[in-house]
Amino acid sequence: MEAVKDILALLVFPGGLFVVFAGMMYEWLDRKLVARLQNRIGPRWFQPIADTVKLLAKEEVLPESVTPFFFVVLPLIALAGALTAVLYTPMVGLEPAYSFPGDLIVTVYMLSLLTLCIGLAGANTRNRFSLVGATRALTQLFAYEAPFLLALFGPAIAAGSWQIGEIAHYAESHWFIFTQPIGFLVALIGLMGKLELPPFDSPEAETEIVAGALTEYSGRGLAIFRIGKGVELVVGLTLIVTFYLGGVANPIVFFVKTIGMLVVMAALQTLLTRLRIDQTVGLWWRYGALLVLLQWAVLIVVQIA
Amino acid sequence: MMTVAAPTTQKSEKFIVPIGPQHPALKEPGHFEFAVDGEIVTDATVRLGYVHRGIEKGTESRNWAQNLYLLERICGICSHTHAFAYVLGVEQLAEVEAPPRARAIRMVVAELERVHSHFLWLGVGAHEAGFDTLFMYSWRDRETVMDLLESLTGNRVNYSACVLGGVKFDINGEQTKGILEGLDFLEKRTHHYLNVIQQDALFLQRTRGVGVMTQQQARQLGVVGPTARASGVARDLRIDAPGQHYNDFNVNMILETDGDLAARFVVRIRDLFESYRIIREILSNMPEGDLVVKRMPRKIKAGETISRVEAPRGEAFYYIKSNGSEMPERIKVRTPTLCNMASVLTLTVGQHLADVPMILVGIDPCFSCNDRSVTVTQPSGQREHWTWEQVRRFGIEYYQRQGGQ
Amino acid sequence: MDVRLETAVSLTKPWATETAEPAPYRLDVSLERENLLPVISALFAAEWGYLSAITGVDLGTAVGVVEVLYHFCEGPCIVTLRLRVPYDDAQIDSVCSIIPSASFFERELSEMLGITIVGTPNADRLFLPDDWPLGVYPLRKEYVMQG
Repeated sequence: MEAVKDILALLVFPGGLFVVFAGMMYEWLDRKLVARLQNRIGPRWFQPIADTVKLLAKEEVLPESVTPFFFVVLPLIALAGALTAVLYTPMVGLEPAYSFPGDLIVTVYMLSLLTLCIGLAGANTRNRFSLVGATRALTQLFAYEAPFLLALFGPAIAAGSWQIGEIAHYAESHWFIFTQPIGFLVALIGLMGKLELPPFDSPEAETEIVAGALTEYSGRGLAIFRIGKGVELVVGLTLIVTFYLGGVANPIVFFVKTIGMLVVMAALQTLLTRLRIDQTVGLWWRYGALLVLLQWAVLIVVQIA
Repeated sequence: MMTVAAPTTQKSEKFIVPIGPQHPALKEPGHFEFAVDGEIVTDATVRLGYVHRGIEKGTESRNWAQNLYLLERICGICSHTHAFAYVLGVEQLAEVEAPPRARAIRMVVAELERVHSHFLWLGVGAHEAGFDTLFMYSWRDRETVMDLLESLTGNRVNYSACVLGGVKFDINGEQTKGILEGLDFLEKRTHHYLNVIQQDALFLQRTRGVGVMTQQQARQLGVVGPTARASGVARDLRIDAPGQHYNDFNVNMILETDGDLAARFVVRIRDLFESYRIIREILSNMPEGDLVVKRMPRKIKAGETISRVEAPRGEAFYYIKSNGSEMPERIKVRTPTLCNMASVLTLTVGQHLADVPMILVGIDPCFSCNDRSVTVTQPSGQREHWTWEQVRRFGIEYYQRQGGQ
Repeated sequence: MDVRLETAVSLTKPWATETAEPAPYRLDVSLERENLLPVISALFAAEWGYLSAITGVDLGTAVGVVEVLYHFCEGPCIVTLRLRVPYDDAQIDSVCSIIPSASFFERELSEMLGITIVGTPNADRLFLPDDWPLGVYPLRKEYVMQG
């Protein structure tokens, strides 16, 4: 019985099929909202699915002078990392499929795996756009990662646990968005940085470096990276809603909250101009990290008092 | 064609980022190579000619009237500028003068073209900065002026407004009303865009202090048009050399002194207000009379002349030499982009790679304009040849199949 | 005559072989080839206008000369420096040492009319394709358009 439950959790819900499909739907909603805000029509609902199917069906071109093993394996590692994170996340407000003390830290690192793999994938090729894109992706990783981590650990400190499930239960009665507003903002904007959404899209700024680190990717590899990003979007939003907007809850209520966050993200994407990579780094270290640390200091003082 | 640079990070070797011939930042083909040290550009070179069509040479085997339509196709954005400069030159050589009403209509089209060109540029500039919302909105509003041009001339691009010795069409009362309404809408939107580019903090981070060209540099590099005016160099042919045309109507010089990208944005937007004002003034004081001179000779007197017109991007320079026959001896076209291109190569050095596309676009480059002279048609394999009628029918049927959208 | 043109006349006087005023606001100054650089330095030192264009005009195989025109503009005034370059000694000094932005004009002139520019910083082709045959200069009259 345990084995059947494990397989279901891995392949159907919350991991596997469900989250891949959810990722595509979230991606569609994001694209549609941005398009409507920009006075465009936007894609139809099945566009991300169609894109993925098309990419999977296409030939994967292996460029000269890459290490073939890494070229093929890196997208898989990225997707595996994102899917592993799903298992410890309270998807649609339900209990996480698996849980152990300290799973928050593991989850956050699993989420970083995607960016790391994109960076390495870019560095693996000899394409100059990819190399510049990879440098930028990794630079950006170091910029937002620490503030993002600190922002997610804020609720953990308040809840006194490093286990996502326990924090989620604690958050049911404590809406951290009110007690830790800075952490909430930094986490939300950090997620945009993680997903390389505008204004943090300089690692894939098309007007400068074409498609950034993924310029050489086509077919299956590109499709898997995109699926990975979709999954990460779902996991990221779920974590933020769980931690800051009332923890585990009725799936419908939880879903509405997640969509709300997505709308905020879409609005930010339309409003802001792309930041240069040095500006991104400056923003995170000068403001993001310092503000979160300040909030931590307040938290710890309150906690002790 | 591409220089092969070893993509290593060793200090001794240059790391070159190629931009073009095909690149998302370029709306037309050109090839730039930027040597970078990390994110900082250390050297820049350019190779043009990917849309070289042999127009200068082509003019020498066509008659004076045919050349008008050939030269108009140098550029799809400022096609009227080229026709305008050409007819000015030929009229000077033939010693005829276009009637006042024709001159007024030429100016209306020229200013409408400037409006459409600046809106187009605003969108492209915003896109390079990664501000796609502004791009989408400005191009939506640009449709207004495209519709006005279509209602006047029948074409969205390549208007063919000029003929030798006059213009092809008249502006009637209804069209005047349409233009004035369109301008009111555009003026409202332009105020909004001026606010955005002057106040949006993140956008200013990408434009203020970027690609600064001092007044001294601007003079030395010989830049023209809005690029020069953004650096405080008062250079506008509508004022400097009004000729018979802009003599009749007063134009104000739009100057900014900062010389950075922000100033180039502001200059062009303020240029728009000036264009609106000029168009309104011309329309309310439209002279009566003929549209074309009574007699325009087929053979143009031998001689040479220079005619210059302020294109949306700056000075367009025409040198025309006639040998007294039906065909010109030599026509030389120097478009504003060629003048301004040198500034790109100079200004990008020392800047961030991320700012390069913006600096490049900051001069509003137009490669088609640049690339004219000589190309020989290549034999084209198995290509099917359609008549114009076939193409037209295919287009109509295609869209009917798509549900008439 | 416009004041600015009068200045230009006095600036170019020491080297001019012939001066004409073909139209209002225009001044044509004919020069010997070797005097190009001194004249341009004089104009540049006095900050007279900017180099607007370099035109090459092939006068035909019968004459065997390419006329090279340097157009300087200042407001409504245009000064044209005229040089005659024979086919058999088709070279001319680069003005890039004084006006760096002339590089593009010179590259175009040299590839289109087959004039060697002595001392130009970059003699690569600007417009013509890489597979364009060497020694074929499209804007020479002897070149006939095909296709």
